[in-house]
Amino acid sequence: MMLTSKNLIFRISLAGLLLIIVMAGCLLIGSQDISLQKALQGPTIEGIPNSDYQILVSVRLPRVILAAIVGAALACSGVVFQAILRNPLADPYILGVSSGAGLGSIIAVMLGWTWTVWGLSALMVASFIGAMGTVWLVWSIGKVTGRVHVTGLLLAGVVVNALFSAVIMFLSSIAEAKKFQTTMLWLMGSFVELDKLSPLIASGIIVLLGIVFLLMLGNQLNILSFGRQDARSLGIPIERTCFLAFGCAALITSIAVSFSGLVGFVGLIVPHAVRLVAGPDHRQLIPLSALIGAAFLVIADAVARVVVAPAMLPVGVVTAMTGGPFFLILLIRYTKTIHWGRP
Amino acid sequence: MSLIEMQNVTFAYDRQPVLKALSLSVEANSFWAVVGPNGSGKSTFLNLLCGQLKPDAGNVHVDGRAASSFSSQQLAGILSMVRQEFVPVFGFSVRQTVMMARYYRKPSALFENTEDIEAVDAALMATDTLEFADRPLGRLSGGERQRVFIARALAQETPVLLLDEPTSHLDLKHQIRIFDLLKQMQCEQGKTILLVTHDLNLAAQYCDKVLLLGPEGDFFQGPPEGVLDSGQIQSIFGVRGYQGQIQKRKFFVPLGQFSKDLPESST
Repeated sequence: MMLTSKNLIFRISLAGLLLIIVMAGCLLIGSQDISLQKALQGPTIEGIPNSDYQILVSVRLPRVILAAIVGAALACSGVVFQAILRNPLADPYILGVSSGAGLGSIIAVMLGWTWTVWGLSALMVASFIGAMGTVWLVWSIGKVTGRVHVTGLLLAGVVVNALFSAVIMFLSSIAEAKKFQTTMLWLMGSFVELDKLSPLIASGIIVLLGIVFLLMLGNQLNILSFGRQDARSLGIPIERTCFLAFGCAALITSIAVSFSGLVGFVGLIVPHAVRLVAGPDHRQLIPLSALIGAAFLVIADAVARVVVAPAMLPVGVVTAMTGGPFFLILLIRYTKTIHWGRP
Repeated sequence: MSLIEMQNVTFAYDRQPVLKALSLSVEANSFWAVVGPNGSGKSTFLNLLCGQLKPDAGNVHVDGRAASSFSSQQLAGILSMVRQEFVPVFGFSVRQTVMMARYYRKPSALFENTEDIEAVDAALMATDTLEFADRPLGRLSGGERQRVFIARALAQETPVLLLDEPTSHLDLKHQIRIFDLLKQMQCEQGKTILLVTHDLNLAAQYCDKVLLLGPEGDFFQGPPEGVLDSGQIQSIFGVRGYQGQIQKRKFFVPLGQFSKDLPESST
């Protein structure tokens, strides 16, 4: 069965509906019980501030939306990295792109950059530069270690990831002591506290545009996953496509990282699960992974909020605890079926 | 001017020379076999033609233009390529794989149109792959997969087909089918075909011209009757054997020290 626009739209709507249901459900979950009925009565009831409304609108809503944006961005860039590197085990976290972005943001914080352009904070810009730099670094190391070696790239990512995490740790240790706890939490992946929706709007729009852009590259990604030689003879402008796709993936990853720190494995689990159900066609894998990734992270965040309430678990802990074992299972499965480099 | 022109093409991998001053011209609507021992540069030759590799010296012209001056999209409209081995990473189905050949015609379109679907169906039919069109590539045998990639090259609908050992995994029936199919496309659609093969006998039966690449960068070209002469084969491949004749065409059976029939002692 080939993909038609009709069944693509149908599947996207279905996944979208699922996301909305999940978001609505998770709005009602939290360390504090709130009543939906009461919350829906507006900001005040007979002159008295409605605390349930406050919690729902100012605390949980921004947070759920944030989780959805981050999940969509990470899952989508996971798909892109997997396609171009021809490796089902790639993910922005495993490849070190997330920690590159993290390093960028930490440096921005330490230098005290606070400017914003078009709704983009210095943090995001620095984190984008960090992410792009890492993509370039991992890509060139992978190139040196072997033209088509899958392992070389993965190892490069692992090493870069470890190195950057260490530098981040170092920088946060020499920062003021009271900031240490915050950066630690951030490193483990946890959402910044937001009391307004406005900073989310610009990033949400960028992530959405990025996903649509990547969706338009769907055919190219399909062909690129057959390798560069094949892609070339099928008429793909390889350098340009790789640059656009990597750039866009790094952009949405860095937005996610600047909001949430290092949340791992979303880009690994979600595309894989979607591929199992809906097949490998990137024209549908990208939008579906975005929606399912959003839903997955909203749920993971809800778990993080309630499991040790009233304290809060970094959401990265939840995703890593589910994603780590999953990664190992995939690793065992794929080492059996994939030729790791040339014999 | 011929469709494909190579002038004094020299190529080396890390100073290991593979091709030395290779010149040849391929007329449109001809069927070439490229033969030679392992490492003699047969795949390199195809990669130079399709612009994947650039010659260290000399020129490669396709359709009157330097091969390297084409964009990949333009080149995809002229040359299609069937490569040797492929390891699938994701579970794309046969039909999805063949459909990728249609991309270059309309890169901005997200979905395929009925013309694409018909072309893909025709290619699947011609290569006998329609019955497993919806199976993922990973669940096919090597020979079935080879036919899928031939189908993809057909669906690309290019005037020139380059094939790197397309029949190496095929059973006898499918080997003959593929050669018949290629010959038919040469005669009916005017395609130009260059095919790397180790099967000297099928090359002699089907091809108009043979390019024989030697291990030292030496090369011979011409009609199969002349190039695939037993003396030449024995000196280039370093193997002795028996050459006979079926009706008009010669065949060659390699024979060794312990084969039941012994090679002719004369050469």
